[in-house]
Amino acid sequence: MFDDDAVERVVRYLRRSVRIDPALDHRVMEEIAALPAGPAVPAGGVWRWLTGRRLTLTPLGALGLAAAFVVAVVGVWRVRAAPDAVEPALRGFQFVLVEPHAANVSLVGDFNDWDATRTPMHRTPGDGLWSAVVPLEPGRYRYAFLIDGRLWVADPTAPTTRDDDFGAPSSVLTVGGL
Amino acid sequence: MMRASGYVVLLSLCLVAPFSRAAAQGDPRLERLDEATRPVVVALIDTARAVGLPVNPLVERALEGAIKGAPGATIATAVRRLAADLGRARDALGSGASPVELDAGAAALRAGAGPDVLTRLRRARGHRPVTMALAVLTDLVARGVPIDTATTAVLTLAATARDEDLVDFRRAVERDIAIGAPPAAAASIRVNAAAREARPGRP
Amino acid sequence: MSKGRCDATPGREGIGDVGTSDAALVRRVRAGDTAAYADLVARYRDRLGRYALHMLGNREDAEEALQDAFVRAYRSLARCDDPERFGAWLYGILVNRCRTTGARAARRARRFVSDPTALETTPLPGPAEQTEWDDIVRWALARLAPEAREAFLLKHVEELEYEDIAQLTGAGISALKMRVKRAREQLQAILREAEHV
Repeated sequence: MFDDDAVERVVRYLRRSVRIDPALDHRVMEEIAALPAGPAVPAGGVWRWLTGRRLTLTPLGALGLAAAFVVAVVGVWRVRAAPDAVEPALRGFQFVLVEPHAANVSLVGDFNDWDATRTPMHRTPGDGLWSAVVPLEPGRYRYAFLIDGRLWVADPTAPTTRDDDFGAPSSVLTVGGL
Repeated sequence: MMRASGYVVLLSLCLVAPFSRAAAQGDPRLERLDEATRPVVVALIDTARAVGLPVNPLVERALEGAIKGAPGATIATAVRRLAADLGRARDALGSGASPVELDAGAAALRAGAGPDVLTRLRRARGHRPVTMALAVLTDLVARGVPIDTATTAVLTLAATARDEDLVDFRRAVERDIAIGAPPAAAASIRVNAAAREARPGRP
Repeated sequence: MSKGRCDATPGREGIGDVGTSDAALVRRVRAGDTAAYADLVARYRDRLGRYALHMLGNREDAEEALQDAFVRAYRSLARCDDPERFGAWLYGILVNRCRTTGARAARRARRFVSDPTALETTPLPGPAEQTEWDDIVRWALARLAPEAREAFLLKHVEELEYEDIAQLTGAGISALKMRVKRAREQLQAILREAEHV
């Protein structure tokens, strides 16, 4: 019954498609719907959770919820190649935030001298995505998002600074090269 | 152990700075500080400049405190502490360290790394910048990796890894943590895997 | 050095070969359209279910691991660096989850076997009772060490490249090659043993 090709026969057998009970989809979505709000939940989940409820938030609670909206630094591209090895290249970094209820959002950090007016984030029409692109040289940058001019949130997808001297944590982005 | 020049920086910041008024007074960015806080911060920054420390991180820290509405005393304390950390980082990394390296070194010290770790990383990286190694060390600690584990991991990789490799390593650990791995185990497993792959004679 | 992006893409099976639609769905979920996640679950349910089923050996554990992997992936969606490779990234989470479930099942089994009464009264399953090919294959796979079974399935059944497997498992490539080789040898021996029963 078994020969040297037995293993290959096992492999062929195992490669057959398997059918999993489609009810699993429903169970997954039910479990997702029951997830509590928190920084581990992606922004979309929190958004859905919020839109179905009327909430009263303490400032601290609002800060925590807003932190959960922050999504990611999603992309990097080279703005300008260094003409030689001496001048460091600028690289463009795109910062993205999901905050569907904000009227305005600013990206504020070491790269714009913590000036909230210099890097307003732009909203994508039709959804709650805010984004901004900042060209950066190699270096270490602290930054945070300022929502509606009053609520500071760090980027939960980036490392948070350890030296939180001012009661509102910032995030850190390190651009290598120097 | 802080070396002599580190003490000089600290002593200068504590004693000399409050009575000094010099060049930073002209930095228009600092006009955002209130009138009581500005002269203190200006004095701290001028003193740091006088001992050869990079001043831009100090200015930025003060501006961060100002926009976040921190009290003046808190801003001054934060600037003074950062200047002291920059001085300790320079002691550990050497006088040839770049401003970016010193900034990353100060953050690593704040995260709990000892000055000896900075020195060993500098030695391991040779002529290459040590910024990213220090940043990855700090970031791992921020993600919950114990400082000893993070230190061992980064020191293991530092000699051979490129900056991109270090970033990849950090991302892999972050991803493992995100899907439920204990931070210390994630760092250990990833660094062991990386070290195995980097070992000569292995495919 | 392992790459820190979710791009451990299987070559021929096409786990990562899902074009831009995966990325579009991931972006919709991130932007708040939770229902879009159901499309991703339906898309990957059977494909990933096959690995879980073969790895864990029973449907109940496999479905539990699969469900948990989908939920964990949802919670960590912001960490999927490359949404176009969502499938490969999800695969990594499932592999991890199967390890946990497998270890728990092994502990259950050890507890059972270490019970002296059970040892005396319960015959251990052997090939004599496994008359169907399906049972023989399942029995043979179950006799492999978990690391060997994992490497064998990922390489030969899911048809991943060693580089991709290394990224998913954290193991070195040479160690993986050794595990696959041993798994093949063990399977041959086990199947021969079954032939003579």
